[in-house]
Amino acid sequence: MANPEKLKVAKEVSHKAIAFAMARVAESMRVYLGCSDFKVYEADLAAMKVEPKELYGHESYVTGVALAGKTLVSGGYDGKLTWYDTDAKKIIRSETAHAKWIRRVVASPDGKVVASVADDMACRLWDAATGKQLHELRGHGEKTPNGFGSMLYAATFSPDGKHIATADKVAKIKVWEVTSGKPVAEMEAPIMYTWDQVQRLHSIGGIRSLAFSPDGKTLAVGGTGKIGNIDHLEAKARIELFDWSTQKRQIEYVSDKSQGLVNALRFTPDGSFLLAAGGANEGFLLVLDRDAKKTLRQEKITAHIHDMTIDEKGETIVMSGHNKVVVEEMKG
Amino acid sequence: MNIHRFCGSPDHAISRRGFLGTAAAAIGTAAFADMTGLDILANSVLAGEMKKQQKRVILLWLAGGASQLETWDPKPGAATGGPFRSIQTAVSGVRISELMPKMADRMKHKLAIRSLNTKNGDHGGAAMLMMRGRRDEANVKFPDLGAVIAKEMGRADSQVPDYVTFYTQTEGRSMAPGSSGFLGSRYAPMELTTNNQPDNIKRLDGINELDHQQRADLRDLLSKQFAQGRTSAPLGSHNEAYQRVRGLMASDKLFDVSQETDKMRDQYGRTQFGEQTLIARRLIEAGVPFVRVGRAWWDSHGQNFETHQEMVPELDHVMAALVDDLKDRGLLEHTMIITLAEFGRTPSINPSLGRDHFASAWSCSLTGASIKPGAYGKSDATGNKVVEGEVDAAKLFATIYSALGINPHKNYYLGARPVPLVEPGTEPIKEVLA
Repeated sequence: MANPEKLKVAKEVSHKAIAFAMARVAESMRVYLGCSDFKVYEADLAAMKVEPKELYGHESYVTGVALAGKTLVSGGYDGKLTWYDTDAKKIIRSETAHAKWIRRVVASPDGKVVASVADDMACRLWDAATGKQLHELRGHGEKTPNGFGSMLYAATFSPDGKHIATADKVAKIKVWEVTSGKPVAEMEAPIMYTWDQVQRLHSIGGIRSLAFSPDGKTLAVGGTGKIGNIDHLEAKARIELFDWSTQKRQIEYVSDKSQGLVNALRFTPDGSFLLAAGGANEGFLLVLDRDAKKTLRQEKITAHIHDMTIDEKGETIVMSGHNKVVVEEMKG
Repeated sequence: MNIHRFCGSPDHAISRRGFLGTAAAAIGTAAFADMTGLDILANSVLAGEMKKQQKRVILLWLAGGASQLETWDPKPGAATGGPFRSIQTAVSGVRISELMPKMADRMKHKLAIRSLNTKNGDHGGAAMLMMRGRRDEANVKFPDLGAVIAKEMGRADSQVPDYVTFYTQTEGRSMAPGSSGFLGSRYAPMELTTNNQPDNIKRLDGINELDHQQRADLRDLLSKQFAQGRTSAPLGSHNEAYQRVRGLMASDKLFDVSQETDKMRDQYGRTQFGEQTLIARRLIEAGVPFVRVGRAWWDSHGQNFETHQEMVPELDHVMAALVDDLKDRGLLEHTMIITLAEFGRTPSINPSLGRDHFASAWSCSLTGASIKPGAYGKSDATGNKVVEGEVDAAKLFATIYSALGINPHKNYYLGARPVPLVEPGTEPIKEVLA
């Protein structure tokens, strides 16, 4: 039973690279990490001495890893998806999947479909067993309103696997039907995108994280607020919750302590709490009480966090980030 | 009179002012009055001579400090390298960031200097250093590059400005102002900060062009009558000032980008930076010796890669358009394009995925004006220090002046005190001079 009052650091593991993405093996503390040294690692966080083991490499930052059954699928800024058999410990295939940087790779809850999103502004759905493309979801604008290239940062499947949500730099959100590849809802969180016309003539921000609630009705969206000085990530962490079927915003959470981007969002399995992790020069973990509509915990983390998982009981949180993996527990 | 050997050929070793005086007299004021219509370069002996003799400079000022690792000096695969790959350029063995494919194709016109060590990581001080090539002394404010070029390349009888600077964004503008230093206001820049056309140079709506011309003619007639039998510097200066004002008023079309074809405007891109750079080309073509286009703001302490992913492709596109345009017009060998900032960015990547200020091993580029293309200097494998061909601000400026045919060791005089253009003892990078 998750108890946010008991939240505490259980373990910190230093790592030589930035861990942008993480996938956890169910019912275990074994994780796969996608890193800034272009490599994918495996680590057993339950071990006394954690020593991440290098599995294989990409040609640039590895920013997405997802487990579809026993198959690990990784994606990187090289535009490639690599399919890796975790039992046989060998690469099944590695192919160019996108023309630009892949930002996230996620797997459907049943492990049958894998999705990748990239700066070519396409979300591609893949058959996890064969690697065959099922759909290409297009609809996010390739350019920002100011004529610069946009970026497609985030994707997540609904708990029943029937829908996938995607979100981009200019803070547009789309929900798609997985079987048909058709868009079914569209929302936006414009405060999360800052374009500075007067002082600096470029932009910052965007929606960096998405999560469906366990009942599938609510879509949480993470990023940061409007930034005054876009040299830095100086705005407060921001989360918005939508009833995506009506496309209406329900709740806005703005941290009063934590600055920077919300890079990862996870609901606890019972849906009681929403966890948000991210950072700027330092990291944070927020625990939000969805029913009470308030922030329960705002914890400082020693590393800017890029990805997060939560165990099946909702008690153990694993976060990967800037040269570190951090485990926190909130066991009742 | 100073002699400037612009192209190095003895055949062309004529006095600039001497040449211009003769040419101007031959062609008469009518030609200069029409200079702003850009016809002067189209078909005349003067155009040909100008192309041979006159060098021009366009400075693309990457305010805030663009990252050398995401532009001219990539380190792919190093822990400090970031996510971008390097690509081969048109010069064998020279690779630059994948964010600049158009520059890679045009590298045969471009020199990347990868070994700047300028030792100042503060925006204000560094901007002044890299605009002037040296630090001010307690009682001496040095002129910046634009002011020196305006003095050396400008013409007393010019009816266009000698030094124009665009800096529209507010961030960093006050830290990198154009400054003529001890050269005085005659060489101060025309600064455009609010829009692409100068304010207050348009003829009043209530006066038509004929009225305006007749008033000028009357003023001229009265001045000439008054000047008969009189000789004085203030009198000459007074008349020159009126001529320059009249010239500036006539030059408003130079700043009007709509005078260009849609095709040309599309070539540069319809961004603020693209349009200002196109205007810069119009200005130098019409005889303005120095134009700075400030492109702020590159100070990516957070989200360095996102920032450069957004901004470098624009820089690549605009520079490519400028190089192609100048080449097509036969002006590239007479025009130097400089990309420069106050400093570069740290090889280390901070927790916000940013890079911070770094002046110990960074890069700039010089294009055209007979600069030898390729790459000069070298930083180490991680980009943390210069290991070959270190260049400081003074050496960079000595190289720029030399490439433009200006003796970097020449003296200006502050009273009786000789003040050399660059720090004494500084030599240009001889390997990059044609």
